[in-house]
Amino acid sequence: MMNMSSIEVHSLSKSYNSILAVDGIDLNVKSGQVFGFLGPNGAGKSTLIKLLTTLIQPNNGKISILGINAIKQPLSVRKKIGVVLQQPSYEPTLTVEKSLEKYGMMWNVDKKIRKKRMEELLASFELTTIRKKRNEDLSIGQRRRVQVAREFMHDMDLLFLDEPTVGLDPSARRKLLDFLKNKVKETGLTIFYTTHVLTEAEYLCDNIAIINNGKIITVNSPNELKKTFGKEKTIKIHVTSTIEELKKLLQEIPDCDIEEDGGIIITIHSTNSEIVLMNVLKILNQNNISIEDLSAVPTNLEEIFLKVVSDSNASNN
Amino acid sequence: MHPIIRLVNRNITISINPGFLIWQVIFPLIYIFVAGFAYTSLIDNVSFGNKSLTYPAFLASGMIGFNIMNSTLVSGIIIWNDRRHGMFEQIMSGPFTRSHYIISNIVTIAIVGLISAGLITAVGYPVFFESVEFTLITIPLIIFCSIIGAILFGSIASIISTRIRSSEGFNVIINTAFLFFAFVSTAFYPASGAPQPLATIFYLNPLTYLVDIIRAGIFGTITEFVILEMAVLVILASILFIIATKLLTKLDF
Repeated sequence: MMNMSSIEVHSLSKSYNSILAVDGIDLNVKSGQVFGFLGPNGAGKSTLIKLLTTLIQPNNGKISILGINAIKQPLSVRKKIGVVLQQPSYEPTLTVEKSLEKYGMMWNVDKKIRKKRMEELLASFELTTIRKKRNEDLSIGQRRRVQVAREFMHDMDLLFLDEPTVGLDPSARRKLLDFLKNKVKETGLTIFYTTHVLTEAEYLCDNIAIINNGKIITVNSPNELKKTFGKEKTIKIHVTSTIEELKKLLQEIPDCDIEEDGGIIITIHSTNSEIVLMNVLKILNQNNISIEDLSAVPTNLEEIFLKVVSDSNASNN
Repeated sequence: MHPIIRLVNRNITISINPGFLIWQVIFPLIYIFVAGFAYTSLIDNVSFGNKSLTYPAFLASGMIGFNIMNSTLVSGIIIWNDRRHGMFEQIMSGPFTRSHYIISNIVTIAIVGLISAGLITAVGYPVFFESVEFTLITIPLIIFCSIIGAILFGSIASIISTRIRSSEGFNVIINTAFLFFAFVSTAFYPASGAPQPLATIFYLNPLTYLVDIIRAGIFGTITEFVILEMAVLVILASILFIIATKLLTKLDF
């Protein structure tokens, strides 16, 4: 299962009024994984999702979804995928339970299975207490939960989730991520997941692609991305001294900043942070400056994302 | 179950609500029984073909066509609501084509229109039973009108819903259009009593043709002119349906 590809894209392009939203993308998403898709606003994420879900047609390129030519057989693709779009979608006059039930019916799910799934999803997404409420009376977060839960009323091999946690509180967000993780584990479902919350991507995704200006800049696992782009490490040292004294003592050491923020903090940000740290500690020791606290800031996906996007913007300029 | 049937099921579920039922049933009944009898003192018997109808009988038969038209508002509202609340995009990313979506809307309004026409026919029957002349083609003619009326007015409502995004704009335009169709027609009063320019405008309105055909079916007064009206409605409904389909097909996401 893992060796098969759920999504294969070659030289995919899409432009709107001469603006290139997706610019010659190549992508391969293996089955049975959560594939994260990150990018700043307007980078081309939603356009790519619309192309992959056959909502729009490309100008150039090839798309194969679950082995089906998505350009020639869009309906065959749509029968096998689930889609939770970025924008809210709901029927205002239907109750929560009726929304799930009717959505299952629209997907031709057997009545008994519909009923069973509906009860399971109401429980999993903590919708039981609001099951009789109409969609138009729900909060944004509750409506989002219904929208995501509804998609699990039908069977699918591939699920597209476009920023599904928007409007959810931290607890609901974590529960959704765990629900998705379990689904992938239990059913071998492939998930194509876009988000702006990078901790989510780090927690959930097996592989991550970063897109900017319609082009994919990098694709790798979160750990590999950290290894590749996270060579620069950050170390913070809180000391008892004065800025003037420290600036004088450390002026010869590169990659070393000193700032006052409720105390004096020395920040080392370097690819050779260990060596820089040793030199700093040596000077502090020689001058009898006491250290109050020393911490290494772990490289997170957010920093990598910002770096990758900023490098990409710089190279474009 | 076929995708169109599934969409029709969904459309009917989301459309039928107390407000809609009041609009579809209570409002026409008030017209038939209150306005019909109240206006009898103002409008004497009405000539229709070779028949002389009481005003309540004339009005009740007109209300069948009026109700068929009203039920087609469902189509515009479904499309507009689906676009506004993201369901159009959601449905189009599911196991449906745009053709499924368009046909399901037409079938939905044809069903609602047919039930509505049947209901008004049944309720209005005591009012026009003295003049009624059921023939073999009475029921087929009412069914024809329900279907053609659904396609024709449903297409108009669909066209408006594909062009207008704001709720205020949609409500103003759809209400104005349907108010024109309702009151500049022979649904409520005969063309013969109206000033000539107005009577001419009545015959630029498809609802006039629709109620003429229904009355011809109920009162057994089918003439060559009625057959011509049927042909006009079929041509007009076909043209509007093609335009509505093209506009829906071109809707962007």
